[in-house]
Parts: sequence; structure tokens; C-alpha cells
Amino acid sequence: MGNWKPSHVGTLPLAMILLLGLTFWGARADAQETENPFTGPVDVRIGERLFEAQCSNCHGLAGTGNPEAGGPDLTTGRFRTASTDAGLFRVVREGIPGTSMIGIKRNSSDQAVWQVVTYLESLNPADSLDNLPGSATAGRQLFEGKGNCGRCHIVNGSGGRLGPDLSQVGERRPQTDLRSDLTDPNAEVDPRWWTLTVTQEDGSVVQGLRMHEDSFSLRLMDEQEGLRSFSKSQIRSFERDKNSTMPAYRSLTATEQDDLITYLLNLRREQ
Amino acid sequence: MTFTRVTTLLAVVASAHLTLAQELTGDGGMPPFSPVTWERLLNAADEPQNWLMYSGTFDGQRFSRLDQIDTGNVDGLKLVWAHHIPQLDRNETTPLVVDGVMFITESPSNVTAVDAATGRPYWRYEHELPDDLRVCCGRNNRGVAILDETLYMSTLDAHVVGIDARSGSLLWNTEVANYQEGYSKTAAPLIVKDKVITGIAGGEFGIRGFLDAYDAKTGTRDWRTYTIPGPDHPDNRSWAGDSWRTGGSPTWITGSYDPELNLIYWGTGNPGPDYKGDIRGGDNLYADSVLALDGDTGEMSWYFQFTPHDVHDWDAIQIPVLADIEVDGKPRKAMLWANRNAFYYTLDRETGEFLVGKSFARQTWAEGLDDNGRPIRRPGKLPTVEGTLVAPTAGGATNWWSPAFSPRTGLLYVNAFDGEANFYIRDEEYTAGDRYTGGGTDAPLPIDNYMSAIRAIEPATGDIRWEFPMEARSRAGVLATAGDVVFSGTVDGYFYALDARTGEELWHIALGGRMNASPMTYAVGGRQYVTMPSGNVVYTFALDN
Repeated sequence: MGNWKPSHVGTLPLAMILLLGLTFWGARADAQETENPFTGPVDVRIGERLFEAQCSNCHGLAGTGNPEAGGPDLTTGRFRTASTDAGLFRVVREGIPGTSMIGIKRNSSDQAVWQVVTYLESLNPADSLDNLPGSATAGRQLFEGKGNCGRCHIVNGSGGRLGPDLSQVGERRPQTDLRSDLTDPNAEVDPRWWTLTVTQEDGSVVQGLRMHEDSFSLRLMDEQEGLRSFSKSQIRSFERDKNSTMPAYRSLTATEQDDLITYLLNLRREQ
Repeated sequence: MTFTRVTTLLAVVASAHLTLAQELTGDGGMPPFSPVTWERLLNAADEPQNWLMYSGTFDGQRFSRLDQIDTGNVDGLKLVWAHHIPQLDRNETTPLVVDGVMFITESPSNVTAVDAATGRPYWRYEHELPDDLRVCCGRNNRGVAILDETLYMSTLDAHVVGIDARSGSLLWNTEVANYQEGYSKTAAPLIVKDKVITGIAGGEFGIRGFLDAYDAKTGTRDWRTYTIPGPDHPDNRSWAGDSWRTGGSPTWITGSYDPELNLIYWGTGNPGPDYKGDIRGGDNLYADSVLALDGDTGEMSWYFQFTPHDVHDWDAIQIPVLADIEVDGKPRKAMLWANRNAFYYTLDRETGEFLVGKSFARQTWAEGLDDNGRPIRRPGKLPTVEGTLVAPTAGGATNWWSPAFSPRTGLLYVNAFDGEANFYIRDEEYTAGDRYTGGGTDAPLPIDNYMSAIRAIEPATGDIRWEFPMEARSRAGVLATAGDVVFSGTVDGYFYALDARTGEELWHIALGGRMNASPMTYAVGGRQYVTMPSGNVVYTFALDN
């Protein structure tokens, strides 16, 4: 719609030109306020191609961000500066004033911008809640009962602190990743969940989850959930263990895995 | 009003002005701000209480003869003042200090003058910018140059401006290039005699790079040397077809100058498009090189290309460090250069001859350097559609942030990074003024898996004497002083001091904000200060009185 341009303008009377001009600008403004008209699978593919050529230099080829270039991860399902398609359209088109984020190529059509928006929306890792493999109710019973998962994980305000808060995990982890998390937890461990082992000057050892580390200090949560802070110059040594503290739940039956994953996929913000 | 009354009034005003100036310097006995002549710039090292140009002195050493702060007392540094910059963009400035007045550039293209002893402001110049700027890497500015009583500043809309140093008034404003074609300017100019030498940015936008000289009084252009030769020059054949027209090779950090040789040294950035090299076959001269140019005419004396046909965005945008050292038992007028491509080089700065080369950070792309300093590439390290894992990253083993050289220790101090990235290519059409990179990079692992470090390099051998590890990735430069202290900063907000001879940590303070600039030092009223930007605040420290 917004890509429409009048042709043969030279043959039209002035009033008609003005009218068409107003219509054009009106259409362009409307395009940014209405719903995305280009949301098909082909649009995703075209949007991906545009993203790779014009956006990936700062946001990474897969949109997962580039810490050197400063472009944030766009695959979390949440965008810092836009909460609607129209908002995303504006950011892709114009960039974000006062930041390094510049807009798409200036001669890009509105259709191209919408297609990039469609691609960005497709990066949302959340799986559909249709056709889930198991029973959320059974999964919850397993989570709270035999699995004892709440010992380490908080869900909706209750649970332990020794693992990630899972209250909205269904929005950020797709089914395949959740299955891998259960059966092979060391495959992908966020540095926040590495384990630090600190040997103090007196030889005593403190171990805990790596809450933060910088060039001169460490902070960890020890086994009693105490928050401990160390200056690197005032300890004898420290070691990082990049494995997860979570056991691999390979002993779960296939049905139990499906139920648990279905429960976790349902953990989302209330709509 | 009679003539007598006018002169009396002027005398009163002049007297008040002098008193005010003395009061504002925080030191009633200090001489007021005086013009920075060419002679003063030539002898900048002899007045270490001032910081008269981006790197402190023409040799680019970022070394100060001040020694009040030394290895024995640096742990007594205390915060004296802080200057808050209104904008939140990265703060990459190196302030100048002239006779108790500090000039700080601020994002996006502003400059403010403050009392160097207290941080309290005199004036601010705010450059008006167009709304449709398209810059690659943030709205930054790295500093000003000064000659006599005029400051010179690059602006993001690819202008250079002359500003009255006493009042902040605009004296002249010259367009260097058309910003709508992707040109921009961020680096501090360099004064050579009566000219303002200044480069250009835009290597990610298909520009054709150059280095310019402007008349300091009028702002009119005196000469331009393109960093990509035109078709009338044989080196133009190092670019396939017309690719030279959009080949990048920008000049976006400040160079150095040797008054005896009358040579300007300036680094050049990546060829464009950054990653897709097949459309610009050849060595792509003079991208990723250091150029030695005549100080009067800009005519090229020699060049040395660090990374021929670069496809990893490894700009040779580093400060040329000039030092007279001994190599293989022979005294040399040398140039020391730790490059973004992870190799350290010592060159002869009279001739450009390659003397020493060795990797100073993790790299996987080359077997080493040949006898002429040309890299011996490993196969299978070019960017691909699927991505190719290579060390260092596109940001490089180091980058634009300044190294420092101490003539007392004979060591070059470099902020190094041992990282890696997946480099990939994508088809991209050139459109004037739009991004033109032909691909990009991805991080294979979270940044916590890698390390930055300050490394002390022996220029005669390229060997690393010591290193001080930091969390990745630090973007701070280094300062060395006659107190045998090395200052730098971290990505996690620390400003710190090391022993220049051993690398031992002597002091640190958590300032909180990420550091994206290089520290500098100066003195007012006999008291030495050290300044470092962190986040969007400029902090200044000193020992207790």
C-alpha cells in the first residue's frame, strides 16, 4: 500500500496531482499505523534476506546480537524500543535517533520494511501452544513433585534461586531447546550459571554460582544462598566451571519429558 | 561618554577579566591562558603541565614527563572533580589542557571548556547537525586540536570547524565532504605548521577516503591526498574495475608527525565493502596501511600495507607511535604499530622498511609475516556464506584506542583482545549514503569466554614482556608517565594503574561506566591530575594536596 506511487503524473491536472499527493502521504502514514500487510512465509524469507544484507552487521546473522558492534539480541521475543508492528516499522525505517541504530536503506519500499518486521517477528522463539506433545497438568505435577524442580527454579514467585527463573520460559525457549536443557544441560550454559571455586588466602574454599565477574572482583551465590564478594587481588586463586549445576534428566520417560516440556511451554506472561 | 571614561571602564573590565581568569584557574599565581604557537606544539613534551594535542606530543607516544604521581603513591589518588556530559552516547574524548583550561569534546559534535583544576565550565559550543545523519558506529567525537587561540574540531556531518578557544564562538565552518554520501568525521585533527590536518570516516558506506589539510586561519583547503589512488596512478590497478570508487580506506583516527623528517604519518581503514572482497580483487591500496606524507604538500613519501586485500574489517586505524630505538644493534628512527590484524610491527619511519613483526594477540588467519612484513595467509579463512571462524574479531586484536610508549622502559603498552568471530558474506548493492559492508560477523560464544589484556611489547623484538588480563572487551586506551605508571580502563567500569616495568596492579577504582577513551594527564599549580572518561562522565583524579 505504502509503496504505491503515481505514474504518468505529468498528464494529470494540478488538483488531481495534489489529491494524489495527499493520498500518497496519507497512505504512507497509514502504513505505519495499520497492521502489517505482508506476513506470509514468502515475506519472512524476503525479510530475512533484507535483514542479512542490511541489519546483520550489527545484530548478527541470526539476529542474536553482536557485542562488538553493539547491536542487541533481537531473538528474545521482546524489543526494547517497540511493542507493536507499527513501532517496529518506524524503528526499521528511521532508526533510533541519538543512537548507533540507523534505518534501512533510504530507497527501501514500505513493503520491504514490513517484510523485515515480519522476519523479526519470526525470530520470536516462543513455540505455538497448539499441538503440544504432552499434558501441562501432568508436567506441573512432575515439576513440583518427583522432579523437585522448584528446589532450584522459581516459577511465579515461589521456588529456589539456584537456577534460572522459569516463570516466562515458554516465551524464550522453544520445545527443542527445552528438551536439550533437560537431557543435556551442559550443551549451552549462560555464564551467569557457571560455577566459581574461590581459594582464599587462608586456603579455605568457597564455591558458588557466578553472579558476576569483572576485571578486579567476583560475586557469587554460595551453597547456602549467601551472596559473597571477593577482590581478585585478595584471594589465592579462582576457577571457573562452565558446566551446569543441573543434573541431566535422562531417566525421565518420553511421556514425562513431553509433559514437563508442555508445562514449561505454557509458562508465559498472562495475556 | 568621554575618551577618558571609556579607557577607565576598559581598564576596570580588563582588570576584572584578569582576576576572574586567575580565580577560575583555581590558582591565582598561574599565568592565564596564552596562545599555543607552533613552537609550543613542537616542544609540547617540555611543558608536561599541558596536554596540547590528541596524543600529547607529535610522536604519538601518549607519554607524560609528569612524575608527581608514581608507583609509590598512585594508590593515594582521589577523585577531584567530575564533568557530566548531557548526551548518553559513547564518550571517546581525549581532552586538551592549556594553561589551566581543559577542552572536552562531547557527543555528538560539541566542545566545552572547563577549569582544569575544578571542572567548572567556561563555555560550550554546540554544533548544529542535520536530522538525517547516517553514521556507522555511534555519535562520537574524540577531541580537538589547538593552534594559537583557535580550536579545531571534526563534526559528524563531515565538517571541520574553527572555534575561538577563549569564548567558544564559531570562527569558520568548512564542509569536508557530503555527509549524505556516507562521509562523517569523529577524530581530533592534527596541527602541522599553519595547517589543520584532518581525516574522514565512512568505511562502511562506500566512500573514497582521503586526508586533507586546511588553512588554520581561514578554513580553506590546501591539499587533499586520496587514500585510494585514481586511475592515473599505477596503484589504482590494485582494485578490480571501478571498485576503487567505493573502496573505503578512511582515515578516522589522528596521525603523528616527525618535524625533522617533515613527514605526517596516518593510518587508513578497511577497504569496502568490508567482507565481500571478490568484487574488489587486488591488494586494494592504500587501505589498511600507514601513509607517510610530506608535511607541506601531502605528497606520499612511502606507504606500508599491513593487510593486503582485507576481508575482515581490520582497519589500520591506530596511532602511529614514533620512537628512536635500537633494532639489531642499529639505531633506528622507528614506528611502532600494534595492528587490528593481531600483528605487531616495527617499521623504519624514514623509509617504511619492515624491521620486526610478530603476533601480539590470538590470531588464526596467517602463518606469520614474510621478510617484507606481508602476511602469509592460511587457507580457508576467508568469509563465506555459511560463516568462517577466524581470530581476531572484526573489532580486532586492538583498535583505535591509543597505545602508549615509555622512553624510560622502552616498552609499548597495548590494549589487546584474544577474541574470535564467524565472518560471513552477503550480496549487497551500493547505494550512495547507505551502509555497504557485504556481510558481517557473529559471536560464536558469550563474551565472557574471552579475555582482554594490557600487553607490554618490546619494540626491538616484538616479544611480550608482561600482560595484565582484563574482562573482555576493553575499549580503553593507555597512558604512560615518567612516574613509571601505566593507566588504562576496563569494560566493566574500572580505572586503574599498573607498574610500567612489571605490570603489577597498583591502584583501581570502580567508576561504573564502560570506558571508551584514552586517559591523559596534566598539572595546574604544581599538582598533577589524571583524567579518564567513564560512561558519559569525565573524571579527574589527583593526590591529596
